[in-house]
Amino acid sequence: MFGTLFLKECKQILKSMVYYIYVVVFVMFLTSQLSGEITQKLEKPQPGQESYGTINSQDESDVMEKELAELVLETYHNSYTTYPLGFYKGVVLNEEEIARVTSIIENCTGKSWDQLIKEMETHYSDYEQNSIQGAMQAQIAYSVAPAQNLSYDEFLRNMEEVCRVVGAGSSYQRESLQAGVSVPMTYEQAVEEYEALCSKDRVTGATARLFCDYAGIVLSVLPVFLGVTRCLRDKRAQVSQVVFTHRISAFWIIGSRYCANVCMAYLPVAVTAFVMQMPYQYHAKTIGVAPDVLAFLKYSVIWLLPEIMIVLAVSFLITELTENVISIFIQVFWAIVSLFSMVNLKGGFGFHLIARWNTLGSTTQFWQQRQQLLLNRGFYFALSLALAALTVVVYEKKRREGGTVYGKIFKGRK
Amino acid sequence: MERYLKAGSSFVRRQYMPHLLLAFLFCLMSGFFVSFQNLEASQAAKVMEMYFTFTGIILLTPLFLPEQNKEIWLLERSKAMPLWRLYLIRILLAVILLAAVVTFFTQLMQGSGSVFPWGQLWWGSFTEIVFLGSIGCFVSAVTNQVILGYMVSVFYFMANIGASKYLGKFALFQMMKGEYGFVPVMFAAALVLLAGGILLRERVK
Repeated sequence: MFGTLFLKECKQILKSMVYYIYVVVFVMFLTSQLSGEITQKLEKPQPGQESYGTINSQDESDVMEKELAELVLETYHNSYTTYPLGFYKGVVLNEEEIARVTSIIENCTGKSWDQLIKEMETHYSDYEQNSIQGAMQAQIAYSVAPAQNLSYDEFLRNMEEVCRVVGAGSSYQRESLQAGVSVPMTYEQAVEEYEALCSKDRVTGATARLFCDYAGIVLSVLPVFLGVTRCLRDKRAQVSQVVFTHRISAFWIIGSRYCANVCMAYLPVAVTAFVMQMPYQYHAKTIGVAPDVLAFLKYSVIWLLPEIMIVLAVSFLITELTENVISIFIQVFWAIVSLFSMVNLKGGFGFHLIARWNTLGSTTQFWQQRQQLLLNRGFYFALSLALAALTVVVYEKKRREGGTVYGKIFKGRK
Repeated sequence: MERYLKAGSSFVRRQYMPHLLLAFLFCLMSGFFVSFQNLEASQAAKVMEMYFTFTGIILLTPLFLPEQNKEIWLLERSKAMPLWRLYLIRILLAVILLAAVVTFFTQLMQGSGSVFPWGQLWWGSFTEIVFLGSIGCFVSAVTNQVILGYMVSVFYFMANIGASKYLGKFALFQMMKGEYGFVPVMFAAALVLLAGGILLRERVK
C-alpha cells in the first residue's frame, strides 16, 4: 500500500510546474556558484606565494591586532555588525558615540585617529580593490598593532567599553574574542593543510563541502514550495473529503506524501552532486590522489538531506494546520535569519538551519568541528520526524473533526 | 461606492486578513533586524530595499487567491460588478497599505537622526516594493497558482543579490548604490504587470 501511494505521489510531483522550477533554480544556482576555476585553488602551495589564505588563531597578540583592525574599519565606515538576538543587525553611531570609540582606539594603539586612517588607506591602496580577490587579500593582511604597553586585560576592558557603545552582540564581546581571529597562513601551514586535503578529504571531500555549503543556502527555501503545493493540492482539487473517507490511515497518507517529497526534492541534489563531482575526481587523479568517489553522496546525505526533511516537515505541518500558504513566509524568514545570523562563513554550526563551510579545504579545522555538524544535522533529522508525526496527528484530527486551527480562530467571521 | 467598500471589506475579512497580520508582524519585528538611527542615504536605502521590499510580496501576491477556486470565479463573474473592478479595489487597497508602510518607516528613520533625500527614497522604495509584489501578482494570475507567484518573486529578490548587474533598470537594490534612474521604468513595469494580471484574470476561462 505504501509503495503504491509513494509512486503515485512521485508521479504527481513530476506533473507539477513547481517541481520543474525547483530543479531549474537549484541547478542554475549551483552551476553559477561552483565553476571549474576552483580546481586552481587545489594546487600545491609554492614558496614565495603572495598569499596562502587564512587560519584561525587564538594567540592574544593576533586577536588584538585583528580586532583593532576591524574596529578601525567599522568606525571608518560608521557601520558596525552586531548580532543582538543571534540575528544580524547593522548599527550606525552618532557623532558623540563615534568620538568615544575613536578615543578608545587611540588609547589602545597609542596613535592618533588621523594617523591610523592614513595607514589604513596606504595599506588598501597597495591592493587591487576592483577585484574580489584583491579586496580579500587586503582585508586578510590588514592589522593594527596595539600600543606596546597595552596588556591583554586592558585591551579586553577597552573592548567591553566599545560593546557598551555599539550594543550587544558585536564581535568585540569577550566570547567572540575567545573564538579567535583569522590570520594569514604561513607556507608551512599551507603545505600541512594541502596534505590534509589530499589524505583526509581526498580532494572530492573538500569540494563536496563547498557544494553542500552553496546547496544548503538554496535548499533552506526551495523545498517549502513543494511541501505547500502538495498539502494544498487536495483542497485546490476539492478532493479533501474524498481522501478523508478512504480506509487507509493518516500515517500512510502523510507518510507516503512526505517520503515522496523528500525523495523527489533530494533527487536533483544527488544528480547535480554526481555530475559536478566529475571534474574534481579527474583533477584529483591528475595530482596523484585517489579520489573519494562517494564523497558527494556521503556529504549530501548527511548535510543536505536533514535540511530538506526539516523544511518539508515544517511546511507540511503548518500547511495542514492552517490550509494556507503562510509557511512560505515562515520558512523564507527562518532561512534569511539563519543565513544572516552566521558570525563567520566557515563552521560554528551550532543549531543553524544552514550549515556553512564557504571555503575549499580547511580540512583540519573541519575535522575538529565535524562532531558539531553531526549533532546539528542529527537534531534536524530527529525534529523533522517529530514534526512529520505531528502532521499525521493534525491530519487525522482534521479527518475526524473537520476544520483547521485557522478556521477555528476565524469561524465567527461573517 | 458602498458596493465597492463592501467588496473590499469582504475580501479583507475572508481572505486577506492572515496576509495583513503577517505584514504587520513583519514590520513590527523590523527593529530586531535593522537599525533606523543615524543612517546615511545608502544605509537608509539598504533598510528599505533589503527588508521592506518583502511587504510587497506579502501584500500583492495573494490578490487573486479567492478566484483560484473556479466556482468562486464563476460566481463572481455572474454578478453585476465587473471582475476588473473587484481586482482593482484589492490592488488599490494593497498599494495604499504599501505606501503607508514606506511613509511610516522613512519618517521613522528621519525622526531618528538619519539623513537622506526623503522624497527620492520614498519613491524609490515604493516603486521597488510594488514592482516585486507585482511580479508575484502577475505570475499568480498567469499560472492561477499563488504559490508560483511567491516562488518567482522570492527568487527574483534572491537573484538580485548576486546578479543585479544583468537586470538593468529592473534590478533591485540600486538605491544602495545611489542610483535612482530606475524609478520611472520600474514603476511603469509594475503598472503593466498589475494591469496585465487583472486583464488575464478577467479573461481566463
